[in-house]
Amino acid sequence: MPELENPFQDTQMQQHRAQPCTLVIFGATGDLTHRKLIPALYNIAVSGDLPPQFKVVGFARREKTDEVFRAELCEANAKHSRQGHNEQMWGSFAQSIHYHRSEFEDVDGYRALAGLLDAFDKERGTVANRLFYLASAPEYFDQIMEQLRKAGLNNGIGDRWARVVCEKPFGKDLKTARHLNEVVNETFDEGDTYRIDHYLGKETAQNIMVLRFANSLFEPNWNSRYIDHVQITCAENLGMEGGRGGYYDTAGALRDMVQNHLFQLLTLVAMEPPTDLSADSVRDEKVKVIRALRRLTGPEAVGQNVVRAQYTAGSVDGVPRVGYRQEERVNPESRTECYVALRLFVDTWRWQGVPFYIRVGKQLPKKATEISVHFKKPPQVPFATSVMIPDSENTLVIRIQPDEGISLRILCKQPGQALFVQPVKMDFHYSNSFGKASPEAYERLLLDAMAGDATLFARRDEVENAWRFIDEIEKAWHESPSPPPMCEYPAGSWGPKAADEMLARDGREWRRL
Amino acid sequence: MRAALEDTLSILGQEVPLGRVDRELKKLWDSDEAKTRASLMNFAIYSEDAAALPRNNRLLEELTSEHACRAMLILFQPDGPAPRARAWINALCRPYEGKKIVCSEQLSFVLEGGNAAQVQNIVFAHLDSDLPLVVWWQGDLTSNFEERFYSEIDRLFIDSAEWTHPAAEFAMLEDACNGATSEFEVHDLSWTRSHFLRSALAGCFQDAVALRRLPHIAQIEITHAPGQKVAALLLAAWIAERLGLRLDDAAKEVRFSKRDGGSVSLVLAEGLAGCCVQRLALTGPDLRAEVAREPRCAFVRVCTSCDGHAREEMLPADVESEAELISSQLSRAHGTSIFIDMVPLLRRMLAKA
Ligand SMILES: NC(=O)c1ccc[n+]([C@@H]2O[C@H](COP(=O)([O-])OP(=O)(O)OC[C@H]3O[C@@H](n4cnc5c(N)ncnc54)[C@H](OP(=O)(O)O)[C@@H]3O)[C@@H](O)[C@H]2O)c1
Repeated sequence: MPELENPFQDTQMQQHRAQPCTLVIFGATGDLTHRKLIPALYNIAVSGDLPPQFKVVGFARREKTDEVFRAELCEANAKHSRQGHNEQMWGSFAQSIHYHRSEFEDVDGYRALAGLLDAFDKERGTVANRLFYLASAPEYFDQIMEQLRKAGLNNGIGDRWARVVCEKPFGKDLKTARHLNEVVNETFDEGDTYRIDHYLGKETAQNIMVLRFANSLFEPNWNSRYIDHVQITCAENLGMEGGRGGYYDTAGALRDMVQNHLFQLLTLVAMEPPTDLSADSVRDEKVKVIRALRRLTGPEAVGQNVVRAQYTAGSVDGVPRVGYRQEERVNPESRTECYVALRLFVDTWRWQGVPFYIRVGKQLPKKATEISVHFKKPPQVPFATSVMIPDSENTLVIRIQPDEGISLRILCKQPGQALFVQPVKMDFHYSNSFGKASPEAYERLLLDAMAGDATLFARRDEVENAWRFIDEIEKAWHESPSPPPMCEYPAGSWGPKAADEMLARDGREWRRL
Repeated sequence: MRAALEDTLSILGQEVPLGRVDRELKKLWDSDEAKTRASLMNFAIYSEDAAALPRNNRLLEELTSEHACRAMLILFQPDGPAPRARAWINALCRPYEGKKIVCSEQLSFVLEGGNAAQVQNIVFAHLDSDLPLVVWWQGDLTSNFEERFYSEIDRLFIDSAEWTHPAAEFAMLEDACNGATSEFEVHDLSWTRSHFLRSALAGCFQDAVALRRLPHIAQIEITHAPGQKVAALLLAAWIAERLGLRLDDAAKEVRFSKRDGGSVSLVLAEGLAGCCVQRLALTGPDLRAEVAREPRCAFVRVCTSCDGHAREEMLPADVESEAELISSQLSRAHGTSIFIDMVPLLRRMLAKA
């Protein structure tokens, strides 16, 4: 029998509505659940967007009761919730939270989980959809998938769906990513697999497509005829605080940030307009950009186009900082980069000859993620007699974080008798127009996963193609007999000299942030 | 009366000469660089009730904490002696993400005597350019609600529960919406207040069994607060439109007929004071879907029983304060015409009820 439409549904005016479901979080006593997932769910509940009869089941190995688990999450929520913490609202939301103790590798624990989910369905009087969130370290993905399969939890019951959300890191190279993909796809269809990249949940990242495709001002100029080059910077003013050196030293800036977040930003800037806004049309276009990246094969190509570096002792905001190799839980002889700058080319008709410069690093002077599009200079003929400021091209800046917004640098005549031309900034700040903070990335992403919209999640081919590109750089660094050097920069500076020289060779320089 | 008004005017901020509003605003911003001015729209409250001034002033403060705008408060006293207009400016500030201070600006105008054209002029002269104009027209839609004014509006808020002559005023609203130059979207707070009931009702029919029974309903029951009959009729009109029911013109009371010939009766009951619509139930053979809210309770109880199976749950009820209602509407995507499309049916129902 064809499914009937609920005639009252359209009162729920969001574009898409989260469907009724139970969310199971694997690794629910961890940091991610406390700092991000539960506050995100609570804030979704406050906005009235949680689906009816929603439940969360936390899965981890320590013994605890629902009450203890709720009390721990309550404390975390009070600390991290974006819209504050209201006891009454929390009390009502917390009723939906349950704890399930089991080891990841114990199939009986999953059978018991299946029993618990069935009991919830009985209580509801209807079968719910199921969303499994892997908030554990990736080495457990295999086990979790296998046990879910064995317990028959990977298939929705009747017309209900079962979906899986995977946290980053999704692999550490192409081989491990492929393996993870195979394991996940043996258990869930690709259409039911949601790979988180929280950068895509950020308001400004989503705004890139709107800016490009909803404003006739930009798109006609968005190509190699008018654009000189593009820069993407992701600067952090922190190092390895809170013991994060342990994980970071096994990954490095290229794997931790470039393969996922920065490539996502790059694809949004460089993609062709999708035919529609369906998840696959958008991701088809994004993956084409990654495939069109000019490969950097061998130490020579990598040496010319990629700069890697570690920070040495220095100071940030007046506070002394130790060098990377002196950080807690970092190998004193580490060969892991905490800064990387790349010079990339997207070999498509639109971007022929336009370099994309990307840099990401720790212990830089400030925290900022920004994209800047640098337009070509005009011929300047009518102003032959005027005095131009040298660095004076039009620049469109998209600030992803913090202080999200967009600014455009244009040229103006300075008041006075002579014709002095000055760059000025037209500046849009989200805060100045909207005056209220945007939802957290995890709120948006959780709602999308519940609504079945995968647009803001990475698809298998995106992930694998990105790793294929990254692997060649890692290979040149770690497997070649004459690898490109590991450079250094003092903590608190804007990175190694070699990165400035890479742009200087092209007659360009990094934008001042 | 006039003395009482005079006492409250000080809450509006700094009084400035009407012709110098822009210059004084500039001074206000130049004097404090730590503050950032934010604006996404012009939001004007139009009222003819002097007693509502303090409430409206508070409301703008609350609203601007969620929606940065150029806020305008217009108090028009048409019966004043000689025409006289006065203006005030104020900055409504709050911290943004714990770091900076973001402010909206509020302009307040009190107009005694004078006419609709003067009101329009004051509004038009002080709009933040290129930003949409949202107007909350409080109280009755009087003859001052003129085409020259509403043709400039992008979104109009009204509260039909406050109207003295709903039938006439809905007719006026419909004419205004159909005007050649008007393109505004209407939000009736009386309709917005029942949003949570509508969402909860939709929730009842997420259940496939209940959904299959829905075409067989025979009765719509609505309990409303005293004086809130129009809100109940609006809800009934919406249900009828959603289910494709037709108003039975031959019947004396409000009754609907189905496409297949059956009929659906409407039972309205007056409940206690408090929440405007308190209970809504759809009943039919082997189906009862009921959504109810106790007075002052933050939750709605939703019960669906069909085929001998009953399900009950609690959902958070919507906000109730006017500022929150408006804020929730401003946050939603616009462009829907559900409300205004219902007005013709509602007017026919009003003629019977
Ligand atoms: N934290 C963040 O902000 C963040 C941001 C982005 C991505 N991520 C990713 O998210 C994942 C989780 O990060 P996290 O920081 O939340 O990790 P974490 O704090 O180390 O938490 C690990 C969780 O896994 C559970 N666990 C470990 N071994 C288990 C086993 N054998 N059986 C059952 N449960 C087991 C632990 O339960 P017990 O407490 O019971 O031992 C705990 O709940 C990682 O992949 C990380 O890369 C984290």
